[in-house]
Amino acid sequence: MGDAIVLENVRKTFGDKVAVEGMDLRVPQGSLYGFIGPNGAGKTTTIRMIMSIIFPDAGRLSVLGKASAVESKDRIGYLPEERGVYRKMKVGAFLRHMAALKGVSGPAAGGKVRDWLERVALGEVERKKCEELSKGMQQKVQFVASIIHEPELVILDEPFSGLDPVNRRLMRDLFLEQHKRGATVIFSTHQMHQAEELCDHIVMIHRGRKVLDDTLDAIRSQSDSRIVAVRLARGGVDPGPLSAIAGVRHTGGAGLELEVSLSPEADAPRVIAEVAQRVPVESIALRRPNLEDIFVEIATDAGDASVREALAGVGAGEIEGEA
Amino acid sequence: MGANKILRIARREYVSTAMTKGFIIGAFIVPLIIMAIIPVIIWLTMRAKGPAVEGEVAIIDRSGVVASAIAENLTPESIARRQAEDVLRAQEKISEEFAVPAQSTDQKALVETTTNLALGSAPNLRVVTLDSADDPEAEKAPILEAAKRRVADGDQTTRVALIVVSPDAVHRDDAAPGNPFGGYELFVRTKLDDRVIDAIRYAASEAIREARYASSGLNRAELDALWKVEQHTREVTEQGERASSEAVTQMLPLGFMILMMISVMVGGQYLLTTTIEEKSSRVIEVLLSAVSPMQLMAGKIFGQMCVGLTLLVVYSGLGIFGLISAARADLVEPRAVVLLLIFFLLAYLMIASLLAAVGSAVNELREAQSLQTPVMMLIMLPYMLWLPISRDPNSGLALVLSFVPPAGPFVMMMRVASTDPPPALQILLCIAVNAIGAYACLWAAAKIFRVGLLMHGKAPNYKTLLTWIRMA
Repeated sequence: MGDAIVLENVRKTFGDKVAVEGMDLRVPQGSLYGFIGPNGAGKTTTIRMIMSIIFPDAGRLSVLGKASAVESKDRIGYLPEERGVYRKMKVGAFLRHMAALKGVSGPAAGGKVRDWLERVALGEVERKKCEELSKGMQQKVQFVASIIHEPELVILDEPFSGLDPVNRRLMRDLFLEQHKRGATVIFSTHQMHQAEELCDHIVMIHRGRKVLDDTLDAIRSQSDSRIVAVRLARGGVDPGPLSAIAGVRHTGGAGLELEVSLSPEADAPRVIAEVAQRVPVESIALRRPNLEDIFVEIATDAGDASVREALAGVGAGEIEGEA
Repeated sequence: MGANKILRIARREYVSTAMTKGFIIGAFIVPLIIMAIIPVIIWLTMRAKGPAVEGEVAIIDRSGVVASAIAENLTPESIARRQAEDVLRAQEKISEEFAVPAQSTDQKALVETTTNLALGSAPNLRVVTLDSADDPEAEKAPILEAAKRRVADGDQTTRVALIVVSPDAVHRDDAAPGNPFGGYELFVRTKLDDRVIDAIRYAASEAIREARYASSGLNRAELDALWKVEQHTREVTEQGERASSEAVTQMLPLGFMILMMISVMVGGQYLLTTTIEEKSSRVIEVLLSAVSPMQLMAGKIFGQMCVGLTLLVVYSGLGIFGLISAARADLVEPRAVVLLLIFFLLAYLMIASLLAAVGSAVNELREAQSLQTPVMMLIMLPYMLWLPISRDPNSGLALVLSFVPPAGPFVMMMRVASTDPPPALQILLCIAVNAIGAYACLWAAAKIFRVGLLMHGKAPNYKTLLTWIRMA
């Protein structure tokens, strides 16, 4: 099988700000790829270049075998991060319009629109105006608009933002189904745990550069770092002294939760014992690193101390939109 | 494939604009209502001219012979009769000009009815003849006093005017022919209804005139007959002769241009708002997942062009229908209609692409104001220069402006519809030059459109737009 998407040394700048640089990427047909990275890392810019909505300053790009996505837009489904609907248009009319723009028209389109609305539990809103829908409902309508023409390539930019847990699950099932159907699926998220849960292949983007591009299993096995997760018994403890323990690379965390990452040669039981001696501990455990830890590790190795702040709080709640 | 998408976009654009209640009401029903209301308003103004003014008019008649005649002319009946005659004269002129079939009703009866109508609102004035030796200064005081007291009209003792007729108004001291007669002075209250002043002036002048005729032994009817020269201007046409149509001929170029202007502006403005709407509602990137920016722009421009064309066809259809019913259809040459379409197209493409660019660059309608003002000025230019151009359609000004996009098509339209159309070569050259202009506008707009669509944040200025043109 060939590659659905090929990027070679792609670069894009806006004014004097470099958004994406030296981006090489191959996405094989039929795969499920996750683009991760903090807000403003360059995910949306990369996706927009793949969609030929903006054009790279340098480098080569091929989508579904064509030099530009313009020639194969009918075979691509795209849910942009900046998404909206025609407020005054009826839901059914909007979806039929979008379907027609992607080459699905005639009586078949009407049936498809109805079927899909039923599937996302919006069967009764076909004759309502889009502005009457809640934000989450609008998002489901937009998702339907992006896949109604059964595309070979589905690109979803932050598909989960703004959805409640029930709809998040529905959305996940729907796009996993697209993957099963044989479509190549790419989605971006700044929430690492979502990527971890869904993808078989991860591309991590940081400051406009690709910093990781591998299968989840390989990433996990390559990463030799381990983490000691500590829950403090009381607040106001200075975690500074912990860095002095032999085998500790750095400490992090917020509030009562502390994370102590270990260097490869560290003796884990000994570190745990020492940590327990120096700070009041409620619970303490050794765990495998997750994607977020790996990302912090990579970015820290690159000498970037700001990453931790950038990621702080990201795992817990929703942060909308790229900066 | 591309054409299909463009047509889809255009169709949505047209349906969401022209097939809305707002558009149909604004474009067709409101004008119809206005047209229906105008006759009613005219009828109302003719019928009820507000509350009748009441008051006292004092006369100091130093000539000693006209006071009673002035009083006679100021009775409500005479004033109403004169007003009725004025109205009928105006109607006659209109029906002659526009070939509206004249009512065959008896002219005398008509005057009678109209007079009765006007009678209700005619000023009710009490005329007081003072002694010819009275001091005008002293007699002006009641006028001032009445104004101060702010006595409402309706009190016949309120003095509203004083007429002082000079001694030599009818009999000159030196009766050599050509020597000037004296006249009269009229003093009126401030803010007196102009129709009342008019009536008083007419009454006094007529009375003095009558008296002069009488004293010179001249026959009024005979003089009137001598004065009046019967004339009829006839246009010689293939369908035969008919009354001339100066008014129609004068208005035709303006009509053509305004028709074009309305159609271009309506289409262009809708294009601007729908573009801004697509951007601010963030539907734009969803669209761009299916079409390229160029297909989107082409579809939108084409869709709104159809909106403009709808107006153009309906309004010009009504206009031509009006001319046909007035038997003046031959004033519009088929060539002018074809050129109307061509010039509309050129003007629309220029204006629309500029407005599409503006719409794509801003975040909300408010920000578009400053950017679109210069575009508006360019369109208003031919409108402001309507008079000089239609008076002298082949002047240097008209010639130069014909070749300045985007004013060119408007100016050329006026010239083509004027009494002295320009040579065909000039028309072709105008089309060529403005077609190049339209292409340039589209080219620049396409670049701005492509960049602007995804730009959010600070509203750009012209300098930024230029950077975008160079960038894309």
